[in-house]
Amino acid sequence: MQEPPVIIMKELCKFYEMGDQVVRALDSINLDFRKNDYAAIMGPSGSGKSTLMNIIGCLDTPTSGIYELNGQNVAEMNDDELALARNREIGFVFQTFNLLPRLNCLRNVELPLIYAGVPPEERNERAAEALRKVGLGDRMTHKPSELSGGQIQRVAIARALINKPSIILADEPTGNLDTATSHDIMNIFGTLSEVGNTIILITHEEDIARYTKRIIRLRDGKIESDSRK
Amino acid sequence: MKVPFRQFRYESVESLKMALFQIKANKTRSFLTALGVIIGIVSITMMGTAINGIDLGFEKSLSMLGYDVIYVQKTSWSTMGQWWRYRNRPDLKTLYAEQINRIITDNPRSELLLAVPQISTYQASARYHDRILEQVFALGTNGDYPATASGTLATGRFFTPGESAGDEMVGVIGDDVASGLFPNEPAVGKSIQIRNHRIRIIGTYRKQGKFLGLFSFDNQIIMPVGAFQKIYGKEMFITIRVKIRYQQRVEEAKEELLGIMRKIRRLPPGKEVDFSINEQKAFKSQLDPIKNGIAIAGIFITGMSLFVGAIGIMNITFVSVKERTREIGLRKALGARRQTILLQFLIESVMICLIGGFVGLLTSIIITFAIEKVIPDFPVRFSPDLVFASLGVSVITGIISGLAPAISASRLEPADSLRYE
Ligand SMILES: Nc1ncnc2c1ncn2[C@@H]1O[C@H](COP(=O)(O)OP(=O)(O)OP(=O)(O)O)[C@@H](O)[C@H]1O
Ligand SMILES: [Mg+2]
Repeated sequence: MQEPPVIIMKELCKFYEMGDQVVRALDSINLDFRKNDYAAIMGPSGSGKSTLMNIIGCLDTPTSGIYELNGQNVAEMNDDELALARNREIGFVFQTFNLLPRLNCLRNVELPLIYAGVPPEERNERAAEALRKVGLGDRMTHKPSELSGGQIQRVAIARALINKPSIILADEPTGNLDTATSHDIMNIFGTLSEVGNTIILITHEEDIARYTKRIIRLRDGKIESDSRK
Repeated sequence: MKVPFRQFRYESVESLKMALFQIKANKTRSFLTALGVIIGIVSITMMGTAINGIDLGFEKSLSMLGYDVIYVQKTSWSTMGQWWRYRNRPDLKTLYAEQINRIITDNPRSELLLAVPQISTYQASARYHDRILEQVFALGTNGDYPATASGTLATGRFFTPGESAGDEMVGVIGDDVASGLFPNEPAVGKSIQIRNHRIRIIGTYRKQGKFLGLFSFDNQIIMPVGAFQKIYGKEMFITIRVKIRYQQRVEEAKEELLGIMRKIRRLPPGKEVDFSINEQKAFKSQLDPIKNGIAIAGIFITGMSLFVGAIGIMNITFVSVKERTREIGLRKALGARRQTILLQFLIESVMICLIGGFVGLLTSIIITFAIEKVIPDFPVRFSPDLVFASLGVSVITGIISGLAPAISASRLEPADSLRYE
């Protein structure tokens, strides 16, 4: 018997009202993600990819429709519960502005643990461990300004992993990287997927999407196609 | 409940570190922002220092007057400056002292111990060869005077009851008179000239300092009543100094003395008194308006500068929230709750205010120190209360000015703030 999906979306809509015009950023989305999914969301600019990812990550709430995360209806959660969900269930990797510039790698990576109430020594240990996992064991005390783009993304991945979330969300994680570095990053995601992480990433490069096992295409806020390998 | 508290602790520590980072990264901005608080704290502490100093100087001065002496005079100390109210009162007589003494020795349960006459003028001038001192305080009394006054002798002795009864032309002088007239030689044994009379110096007092910074006990020439009256006549200002038995029972003593004086003055019951009984406490109420004036001015300046400072901090915190919108979004994405963000910005504004408070405190400590060095007589006194008060005020200012921006930061939608450019 199969486990229930970790993410269930039914008739999910997100509309923005711009003056007298309504932007249908997401329009009746029906979508499930299972544990171990490794999915890419693709689509032209403005098709609603980031909007969808924000809703999955509990950073935003849908205008209508149902979104269930781990069996819980997100619409019924209050602000603190949403913060808790972001802290425990989801790891984020963004395209830019991933790290706080004043903190070194270690301190950036441990941030989610601070919000989880983990004691300092354990925080330190786990942050170091996560950094080692992404191959940055020798860059722990570097500031973001002293790192390359690829390294910054790896630090962000380490941070996304640190609280052992059920889902890792990445919005164009390779958007700012050259091809070789992008492939390094994708290899890391590949490894994480193999050890059982659920990964959803946004990209508009077919090359990148090819690493994943499922490709969802959006157009004008609607799902155009959803194919598994 | 244990984890949330731990979480709160860790988040506070993190916020504190971030606040310090932030302040260090924007040193000039933080300093300018804190300026209002600095000025506010300087003014509040300087005000407190001045009031403390006045109190302290006052206590010192009062101990010079002696806590156990009350004074019968024509005018009241607590309504000084209203001379017209006393103009029709008959003068006192030095004789009253003896009359009072007779009554109190007949009453074994008297609150009063001893009455001593005093006749005085501020306008005396004393001469020794070619040295002249003007505006000396000349005082005629009897041999019991030392029992009712502070100060110890440096050289010589006080005159005896016999000498005062015999109206002998002898005198005891204060330190300023001694050093003014006899800078290089001992005063005892020399004769000084007052008007056309010669007074032989038989003793000198140790230096005592100024009373309330105004009147100096070192500027006195004390002589027998008879000697004084030979020089100045009987029409001078008379005080009866009365030593009381218990310092704590001043009111009872005053009551008793009032009765005795009414009897001496033959005032029928119900008739208004035509003399005043003064104690050093009266000076305290004289001082209150000055202290209140300082307090009001201080509170006004403090209030104004803290108000301006608070608005500045509020403004800068709003700017900081705007600048760091993406950081707020990121932190929220990583699990920061509303209250976490609120706390972070509150701590930041409180830190700016606290640093301002410390700088302000330091500034006023330096100023106080400088004043003490430059004008030793000027009454300033720093107290630990002031430290707590000003740090408390700083924290409150920080909270008040940081609250609105912190709330607006905590309410930011994470998706919107991440999108913010
Ligand atoms: N806060 C907002 N207010 C109004 N419109 C918005 C807002 N956020 C997104 N939109 C609109 O919703 C649509 C989808 O935006 P979204 O950012 O999801 O696109 P995207 O697929 O991520 O595009 P890109 O590839 O350029 O990142 C766009 O038309 C956008 O203008
Ligand atoms: Mg996008």
